[in-house]
Amino acid sequence: MSFLKTLIRHPQGAVGLFLTALVLTMAAIGPSIAPLDPETMHFANRFEPPSAEFLLGTDWFGRDLLSRMMVGAQSTVLLALLATIIATTIGALIGIISGYLGGWLDEGIMRIVDAIMAIPGLLFALLIISALGTSALNAVIAIGIAFAPGMARISRSVTLQIRALDYVSAARSRGENSLWIVLAEILPNVAAPIIVEATIRVAFAIMTLATLSFLGLGAQPPSPEWGLMISQGREHMFRSPWPIIVPGGAIALVAIGFNLLGDGLRDVLNPKSEH
Amino acid sequence: MVLEVSNYSLTYGTAAGDVRILTDINLHIGSGEILGLVGESGSAKSSLANAILRDLPGQVTDETGEITLKDIDLMSATPEVLQDLHGRRIAMVFQNAALALDPVQTLGSHVIETLQCHEPLTQAQAETKTAELLALVGLPDHQAMMKRYPHEVSGGEKQRVVVALALACQPDLILFDEPTSALDATTAATLLDLLHSLKKTAGISGLFISHDLGTVADIADRVSVIYGGQIVETAAPDVLFSDPCHPYTKSLLASLPRPSDSRTGRRLSSAPSNAPPPRTGALPACIYSHLCPHHDPQICDTSAVRLRQIDQHLVSCARAEILPQRTETDGALTLVPPKDAQVLMARDINVRFNSASWVDRILRRKGASVLALNGASISLNRGETLGLVGESGCGKSTLARALAGLTPFNGTITLDGSPVAQMDKAYRERVQIIFQNPDASLNPRHTIGTILSRPLKLYRTSLSAQERAQEITAILQRVRLPASYASRYPHQLSGGEKQRVAIARALAANPDVIICDEITSGLDASVQAAIVALLREIQQTTQAAIIFITHDLAILRHIAHRIAVMYLGDIIETRTTATLDHGPYHPYTEALLSSSPSIDPDTQTRRVRLSGNLPTRTTKLQGCPFSSRCQHKQDALCKDTPPPVQSATAEHTITCHIAPTDLAKHAPIWTFTETPS
Repeated sequence: MSFLKTLIRHPQGAVGLFLTALVLTMAAIGPSIAPLDPETMHFANRFEPPSAEFLLGTDWFGRDLLSRMMVGAQSTVLLALLATIIATTIGALIGIISGYLGGWLDEGIMRIVDAIMAIPGLLFALLIISALGTSALNAVIAIGIAFAPGMARISRSVTLQIRALDYVSAARSRGENSLWIVLAEILPNVAAPIIVEATIRVAFAIMTLATLSFLGLGAQPPSPEWGLMISQGREHMFRSPWPIIVPGGAIALVAIGFNLLGDGLRDVLNPKSEH
Repeated sequence: MVLEVSNYSLTYGTAAGDVRILTDINLHIGSGEILGLVGESGSAKSSLANAILRDLPGQVTDETGEITLKDIDLMSATPEVLQDLHGRRIAMVFQNAALALDPVQTLGSHVIETLQCHEPLTQAQAETKTAELLALVGLPDHQAMMKRYPHEVSGGEKQRVVVALALACQPDLILFDEPTSALDATTAATLLDLLHSLKKTAGISGLFISHDLGTVADIADRVSVIYGGQIVETAAPDVLFSDPCHPYTKSLLASLPRPSDSRTGRRLSSAPSNAPPPRTGALPACIYSHLCPHHDPQICDTSAVRLRQIDQHLVSCARAEILPQRTETDGALTLVPPKDAQVLMARDINVRFNSASWVDRILRRKGASVLALNGASISLNRGETLGLVGESGCGKSTLARALAGLTPFNGTITLDGSPVAQMDKAYRERVQIIFQNPDASLNPRHTIGTILSRPLKLYRTSLSAQERAQEITAILQRVRLPASYASRYPHQLSGGEKQRVAIARALAANPDVIICDEITSGLDASVQAAIVALLREIQQTTQAAIIFITHDLAILRHIAHRIAVMYLGDIIETRTTATLDHGPYHPYTEALLSSSPSIDPDTQTRRVRLSGNLPTRTTKLQGCPFSSRCQHKQDALCKDTPPPVQSATAEHTITCHIAPTDLAKHAPIWTFTETPS
């Protein structure tokens, strides 16, 4: 609990926590509290600006944008979180093990990681999707794999610093096994920077996911996935901007929320800060 | 007066509320005078330098008083005025010359830049003046020196360049912030000699800040002792050391080792508590009252205690006149003699750090490898403490890490008479290591309980969880920490307490050998004295052998039975501590002992200074490794033939070409004035 209290005392942490909590709540209960059905078309009210009936306006089929956004939160945010978790787990494991082992193995692993990082993330994700086939889950896996090298680099560089510290030397001179050293001595100390990096990656994942959907490789219509909503709304941009502004604003809010949360966590997770 | 600080107080605002940094500071520095400022860590001595420079790093909530430099009121000076003053009228010498110099600028251009910044000089004029300045600070070959980059010269030479920078515009005042603390003892001694001669020739006035009383005593005309952001006593060094007046100064001096301790049997007093001085809340009448053994609420708490003149001291103590003259520490310095049973022997230990990369290997190139240890040998008896001394880079920590199984080596180790084939769990259990910096050696994410439970889990597998918890309480008690600390995290403890936890972790394994790698180096003197007393006590009860690595020779009299001196990866002298007062000494030991600054009013130290730098460690030297810096070298012999190990007595070996009987003819390093006792 004291952890949350400290987080709230940081202005960035407080705002970040509020925004992410809002988004996660939306993802959890959005579909059940949405005012209207997201798929029902109101042909009389196409391209309506925000009004009392449609709080955030309607799209080209007259579907309620607020309801679509609330229902879409689930797929968009949860998929992005899933992609980040995949990327963080794979990346952190590779990075910590590579950094701890050092020598030839580290050299080999990191050069491969460098090679993968040289390919732009989106291009790499496209490559994986074209191999796996088009679906929302495959898009998540693709983004997870495409983001893993970045995480690996960060966790390796932190591991290298930690590995040189005397408490790791002390554990080695005691005769601790490698599993204890990696899991108990190194992991807790590299976790903070990795978690902070992961929260920032969530925002990237949402945007990449939106891009993939925009390109028609992620979620398929009529799913209210935010990226897909923007992609389809683009054709009608000059008749009404609301079909783009609403999901676009939602993506921006999530990105800002997770970024601020990351900043707040960075301060709070420092073991030397006052709890 | 060059500098006058009157009634200066400073308060910083922090998340936890207002914190008093400096309170009611009054000091003055006359022309050609150096004022020493001594305090332990956290005494705000560096903040005073920041205040004089008007470069305060914190968020200032309250600042009162006056700071005047000759005719200039520094408190009201605008940033433009200050920019002009810095370097020209006030200069600063920082602790770490490696950070004070720009790595991409040559040494010459640093000085030229400073000169041209304040004086209208042409390039040629500035260059001439730079050469003069570099010659003034005793740098050899100053033309070549001007073209070198900071990484191409040694630490001592870098610090000389920083001094030259400070001198460049002949400032009114130079602030020295721990200028010798990052240097080796022999280098620091030569830098202090330079400052001495500059004081005479260039007539510099300055504020010399240090945590080390001995260093300050050497250079300062007057010494101010600062505690908790207040000056508690000011006096001339010899007055201060022979007759300290303030209770804090007394306790500080009582915790510092002296060369005469072996003769007089003086023991170090350790701080009763390391409670920090009160910085928040109401200002107490006397800043030291919470720790003072002579505190009397009737007298001390009635009104604010301020500096006042008593005899030759300025003291802020209400009871200064009626305090006892000298605080006597009870008991005498006696070390329990070790048993006559060898526990550890290391023979001919070699360590080389290979920096050949895989590209070198493919191309069959030989990469440069550093020879960290060249056949060092030590032996230890049960219950014995071996002091291992030497300057940075001599390989003492490498030896410690090799013995702890952290660095691969060539050579043989024998434990209790049987050779050690591999560094297995059984060996690691019996040989434990404690590191210098407890901040790095204790995992910040583990509680003290977890940290102490690990050796128990590894080595004493039969213990149940409940027995382990009891054992942890018992171990904490042995290092004088309350049992409740088991649930705390390292950052909630003070530096001395953290080092006690590190000692406790080593004790938990019930080791036969404890390797202490500079474990008191980062600690204040009173805490160091307490840790040394604790180690002695542990040794008495467990009969463990201790390898005590340090660069501070003075403390060894209080812990070590024998001393081994290292130079360039080898041991050049071993002797008992009891014979330390008289020769023969290895020429290097002689210089090392002479460089250690002393605060002893009854001891005179003969000056022996080393010239030149450490030779490169990548090639095996033909002759004596010390011959390049030795004052007694006999040219051809010392340069080309490795020196023999000669025995002066059964327990005293010197690796030198000169016969011990000849070395014994050198004048003694210390001459003691007999004190009537």
